[in-house]
Amino acid sequence: MSLVRNFIEDWSRYRRSIDEGGFHEYEHMWGMVIDLDKCTGCNACSVACYAENNLAVVGEDKFENGQGMHWMRIERYWDEPNIGNERVRDTQEHGASFMPMMCQQCNSATCEPVCPVSAAYHTPDGLNAQIYNRCVGSRYCANNCPYRLRYFNFFSYYEDSWPSPLDMQLNPDITVRDKGVMEKCTFCVQRIRSTKNAAKMEDRQVVDGEVQTACQQTCPTSAIVFGDLLDHESDVHKLWHKHQTRLGTTKQKKDNPELRGYRLYEQLNTEPSVTYLERVRDV
Amino acid sequence: MAEETHLSATKDIDEKIAWAEINSDVLRSMENPRMGYWLAVVVSICMLMVGVASEVYQYNVGMGPAQLNNPHMWDLYISTFVFWIGMSHSGTLLSAILHLFHADWRKPIYRFAEAMTTFSLMTALVFPIIHLGRVWNMHWVIPYYSDRGIWPNFRSPLVWDAFAITTYLTGSVLFLYIGMIPDLAICRDNAIGWRKRLYTFMSVGWRGDDRQWRNFRKTYLLMACFLIPLAVSVHSIVAADFAMAIMPGWHVTSFPPYFVSGALYSGCAAIITLFVLLRYFFKFEQYMTLPILDKTCKLTFAIAMVWSYLNLIEFASVWYGHDIPAKEVLIAKFTGPYSPFFLGMLFCGSVLPFTLAFEKIRRNPMLLLPISIFLNVGMWLERYMIVAPTLSLAYHPWSWDVMWPGWVEWGIVFGSFGWFGLLFLIFVKVFPSVSMYEVKEMVYHRRRVVYEDAELRAHEYKKGASGASSAAPATEGS
Amino acid sequence: MSKIEFDRRDFLKVMGVSGVAATVAGCDMPSYITSEEGAEEVIPYLSPEEFVIPGVGVHYASTCLQCPATCGIRGRVREGRVLKLEGNPKSALNTGKLCQMGQAGLQTHYNPDRLTKPLVRKDGALAEATWEDALALIEEKTGPSSGLSGGRFAWLTGTISGHQSVLLKAHLESLGSSSHFVHEVINTRVWQAVCQDMLGQSMPRLRIDKAKMVLSFGADFLGTWMSPIHFSADYARFRSGEDRGMLVQAEPSMSLTGANADLWVALRPGTEGVMALGLANVLINKERMDASALPAAALELINQYGVSRTTKMTGIAGDRLIRIARHLKERSPSLVLAGASAAGHVGGYQSVQAAMLLNILLGNIDQTIEASGDFALPQLASVSGGTSDLSRFADAAGAGKLDAVFFDGSNPLFAAPNHLGLTEKFDSIPFKVAFSQFMDETTAHADVVLPMASALEDWGTHVAAYQGGDHEIAFQQPLMEPIYPGTRSFGDMLLALNSMRNPGSYDGLEDYYGYLQSAVGSIPGVLKGEDDEAINVSAWNRILQDGRLQMPVDTRAFTSNLSMDDMDVRDADPAFPYYLVPTPRGTLYDGRHANIPWLQESPDQISKVVWNSWAEIHPVTAAKLAVEEGDVITVTTPDGVLEVPVYIHKGIHVDVVAVPMGQGHEDYGRYARGRGVNPLKILQPGSDAKTGELALYGSRAALAATGRAGRLIKMGNTETQHGRKIVATITAEQQRRNEGDS
Repeated sequence: MSLVRNFIEDWSRYRRSIDEGGFHEYEHMWGMVIDLDKCTGCNACSVACYAENNLAVVGEDKFENGQGMHWMRIERYWDEPNIGNERVRDTQEHGASFMPMMCQQCNSATCEPVCPVSAAYHTPDGLNAQIYNRCVGSRYCANNCPYRLRYFNFFSYYEDSWPSPLDMQLNPDITVRDKGVMEKCTFCVQRIRSTKNAAKMEDRQVVDGEVQTACQQTCPTSAIVFGDLLDHESDVHKLWHKHQTRLGTTKQKKDNPELRGYRLYEQLNTEPSVTYLERVRDV
Repeated sequence: MAEETHLSATKDIDEKIAWAEINSDVLRSMENPRMGYWLAVVVSICMLMVGVASEVYQYNVGMGPAQLNNPHMWDLYISTFVFWIGMSHSGTLLSAILHLFHADWRKPIYRFAEAMTTFSLMTALVFPIIHLGRVWNMHWVIPYYSDRGIWPNFRSPLVWDAFAITTYLTGSVLFLYIGMIPDLAICRDNAIGWRKRLYTFMSVGWRGDDRQWRNFRKTYLLMACFLIPLAVSVHSIVAADFAMAIMPGWHVTSFPPYFVSGALYSGCAAIITLFVLLRYFFKFEQYMTLPILDKTCKLTFAIAMVWSYLNLIEFASVWYGHDIPAKEVLIAKFTGPYSPFFLGMLFCGSVLPFTLAFEKIRRNPMLLLPISIFLNVGMWLERYMIVAPTLSLAYHPWSWDVMWPGWVEWGIVFGSFGWFGLLFLIFVKVFPSVSMYEVKEMVYHRRRVVYEDAELRAHEYKKGASGASSAAPATEGS
Repeated sequence: MSKIEFDRRDFLKVMGVSGVAATVAGCDMPSYITSEEGAEEVIPYLSPEEFVIPGVGVHYASTCLQCPATCGIRGRVREGRVLKLEGNPKSALNTGKLCQMGQAGLQTHYNPDRLTKPLVRKDGALAEATWEDALALIEEKTGPSSGLSGGRFAWLTGTISGHQSVLLKAHLESLGSSSHFVHEVINTRVWQAVCQDMLGQSMPRLRIDKAKMVLSFGADFLGTWMSPIHFSADYARFRSGEDRGMLVQAEPSMSLTGANADLWVALRPGTEGVMALGLANVLINKERMDASALPAAALELINQYGVSRTTKMTGIAGDRLIRIARHLKERSPSLVLAGASAAGHVGGYQSVQAAMLLNILLGNIDQTIEASGDFALPQLASVSGGTSDLSRFADAAGAGKLDAVFFDGSNPLFAAPNHLGLTEKFDSIPFKVAFSQFMDETTAHADVVLPMASALEDWGTHVAAYQGGDHEIAFQQPLMEPIYPGTRSFGDMLLALNSMRNPGSYDGLEDYYGYLQSAVGSIPGVLKGEDDEAINVSAWNRILQDGRLQMPVDTRAFTSNLSMDDMDVRDADPAFPYYLVPTPRGTLYDGRHANIPWLQESPDQISKVVWNSWAEIHPVTAAKLAVEEGDVITVTTPDGVLEVPVYIHKGIHVDVVAVPMGQGHEDYGRYARGRGVNPLKILQPGSDAKTGELALYGSRAALAATGRAGRLIKMGNTETQHGRKIVATITAEQQRRNEGDS
């Protein structure tokens, strides 16, 4: 009997998620906005992430092999935007295009269904979590990530990434991963947890801005905004709303097609929780 | 006399072979290993040791020395896994499918083909395990009751793989074993020492009485019917590893049939290779005759064409579709750094089989040995070309990367051939690699039941002889 | 780590103490055991500080010393270890933000290659010594009995300010010397000189946030120039809203700021001033701007730089020049900046002067360039470094004028170009003492090496050269106990040195902390009232909590003293057709961060190269040399040769080869040693006539392919988006239309 009831409940929840575009019975729905016009590509977020999340420095040989562990990476493209009607010149007229890329925390994540042991799963906060202890290292999730944002421990990096006393810096709130485990950006889940716990102890709701990811915290231009999408007063919700990006769709319907918000590879229906705001260039 | 030799070249089997001769020929092959056999065993063990050493190193150090990297999370391990799974389809094809189709020319060669199925599955099974970053936790993929109430993720094709492969392995081992019981009884009756004990145990009291034969036939038929959908599903599920992903070049609807045809193809090619080798080394010319080889080659050719066709429709659907990343992957396969391998695969897989269109080649074991090996090289490349280019080139250009396998990966792939070879070598000396009772059946039918071989008739017709019998072909005894 | 071996009695002792702890505290207070060289110590939380809770991180304010900008930081401390640095929101300079170098301050602190014991040179080699021996040797050589006095003693430091500066000056005075060389490769000295001469204030406040257009001549204000984090926040405001500002960057090779420009202009090195004058010319003659503010001499000079001459000299298309001028006129107020690539020439002063002239013409003074006044306590103000001090030091050392040198916070032997011959001159100084955390190139040549506490273990006060708005004293406080007991605080050393010269001068002060407390207490109105003698402890704690002390701002108005000298643009030498640009980057900075693994593995912002040096060249140059990315070329100047793999992109002038500074260390620990090349070494002689700053950007080079492929390790394997919508770009017009209200 309970089986039938569960099934009906699941089904109605599923229907509602289709009707109401990305509806989840979530307590929080962590999301992010990155303003590519403000991002200067300075890399501070990336190093902050190394510091916060015990990311291993792999050294030049392994980096050359593509085994680096940069959860937050700044990509740099040289494409000249197709704006204005200038002829192609032999200089980089509009500068570079920087793209901060970290796990997009997809709500319809391609990595989750393929994990044989459910080490990649979705938390009730809308996070795309990775359970290190459960991971057997099949690496299927990374193969199926269109953003290529999952990083694998090809070695026991702890053996030589933190010669003493560098190891004293390691954040005790999270683990140091051993070989054979997949890892990726967690939206600084340890900070979310501790803030939620603190709020619970004080019997109150988590306030917008209370949880800051390491990258957001350090971003010199405040290009990264992080918060709870379900909280209608949060900055991140307001920005999503303002730029008319919403969950639950592969093509954003916008009153004004010039609004800057977009999600990366939306057409793949991965439902990322990160909205990027288009870069702006004056001509 | 010239007439006789020609006939023997057209007949599947010489019906004049005596029962005892069949027994003694097959049993002889199981005894007195020569120098060459021991040499082969030593070579296989050495190859296996290379693989084991590589795996021990990898176990201790991690997946890094295999040169796997961020876009290339899978590489040779998974492609070689698919290759060995493919090899495993030959036995099922020959014994189960042809059994249902009453193609009795399969009888002298199905035994070793089935053994090949089992052993290549056992080889294949190793790869998804050793490719795990944390091998020691591999049992988590299996649904077993745990205090923590944690189950594997039933949505993951890798879990389906685990089910499909273990089921198929069990099925094919049973099928091989059941089909061998009457022969094991013959062995039992002719053996002494440890072999006697082994065969006595394994022949489970086979006396060859009527009830046993009837039950045996039923079981065998049932197993054949059971195994065919299993074989198709196993490779469809392996195909799902890729087709269920969203990566360009993997997310292809036609992958399951494509994989199954590729599997049958590589299996047939492997049968030809082993056919030629066994025929030569064990002097099985009387049983593994050239007409049977000819038929196997025809079958291989037909499957090669199906495979090529499926290749072409995949290219066409990508080319005429509007999936730009998929198109990029396709173009990169033809022109990118992997193109020598891709073009090599197309040559070995789609051009080389046309040599099998010629009867002279189909009946020339010396030529067929290299050809069949190259067909399998092509099929191995096919699997590599499924795995690697997509990983090197997918949606996100920043992570595009071309990667070549490291020594650990090569070592383990190399070792897998040693493992397979060793298992097979042990098999041929312990178990009859030609089915004695079924060859006898075949000879019996040729001798007693008026059985019109189409080729024979054509031959007679060509000769202008009018002696063709008009008796209706009797049903082949089950 | 020595093994802890308990015998039963020790174990009981441990139990006993923790038992007492539990009894006294009345609840389960944890205790932990530290072990150092076999000695065991039980530290019970008998009376734990109320903020020390195991498992809970506490934030302490301090000051970042990774570059001279002195941003405020907050360190997260848990169980006695500092785990993470974050920007201090209370700091007006960086408002809670931090750059990658600041984040990596942890790895300077926890660096495995830190010096832990004093070293003294014996028989030509540095050998371990005790502090007593080392100090005795220093006393012997520089103490009152040594007879050393006057200009024969010198300090060589990096940028220094606050009370360290005060004590250092006191030490110099006690020796009767005034030789304080302040060396900083990445500096703004020429800019400061121009501002001082033309506006009467060396560090006016730059309101990028208020500007509607910024024209920057190589001022990498988002990366390395002056106070990058402060400017980044300004830049974010500059970029948002209806009045989204336009950024035009003109420089020889693309900096981080250039990569963010709306319009990036590849400029022939050394012609920044020409372009500024050309723009002024267009503004006056074409756009009819009022030039009455400019002196006649300047106008005359401007008139010499018509569009055609400017175009010819700078290599910029005339229509582009006119368009930039028009934008400058339309988007008022604007702001014209001139940075390292403008200043680093023989005529660098004039170039910066021309840029300032443009500001005056555009009416930006008091609009986007605001008077900042001087720091209220001039003795604490920042002593900004430069490269002129490096050549002055080399001259002094070469002439045998120095008998003893103390150096701290600077690595002159790494940064000095070959032509200064500094290594030999340095070795000829009889007595050299290094106050150093690492065995860098300079430290390796010292006679006495004193291991210093890291920035996160030490006390100090700092005053930024560029104050973002409010004037502040930045407080540096230890975020944890020293990792190595053998290291000492720089402030304590300064006190010791002063006591050595004048025994009894700092009696009654236990240590540098005590000195700081009393010194800050002596600032009127800070810690005690008019008639209150005792130090107000809660006020002191408040300052330490904030990490900042607000100082009254002296809003002295600008004085105007406009003058303009003609440009000094040198012609190319046909044997060395390329300009060599030693690029500063906010990663390894001037090389001081080459020993930080995080920063070595942090991809360069432009080329995305890690762990190595590279030479940036234009595709046209690459075609001429027939090289592809990763091929090794030789960069030859009359002063030396570099072999370095190339990175090819269009963000560089065709005639320029840019090699980033920072790598090429011979020493400096496991992460830095033997990696890449140091472009500073092969720079040619030449210095700005007015300020004496070395012409870092004025060297000429010849390039040649070696035919070898090198090792260029990069993140990412593509340079373009391949038609995907990854970084999408819209025009500013569209953005203004839609986001006007924000």
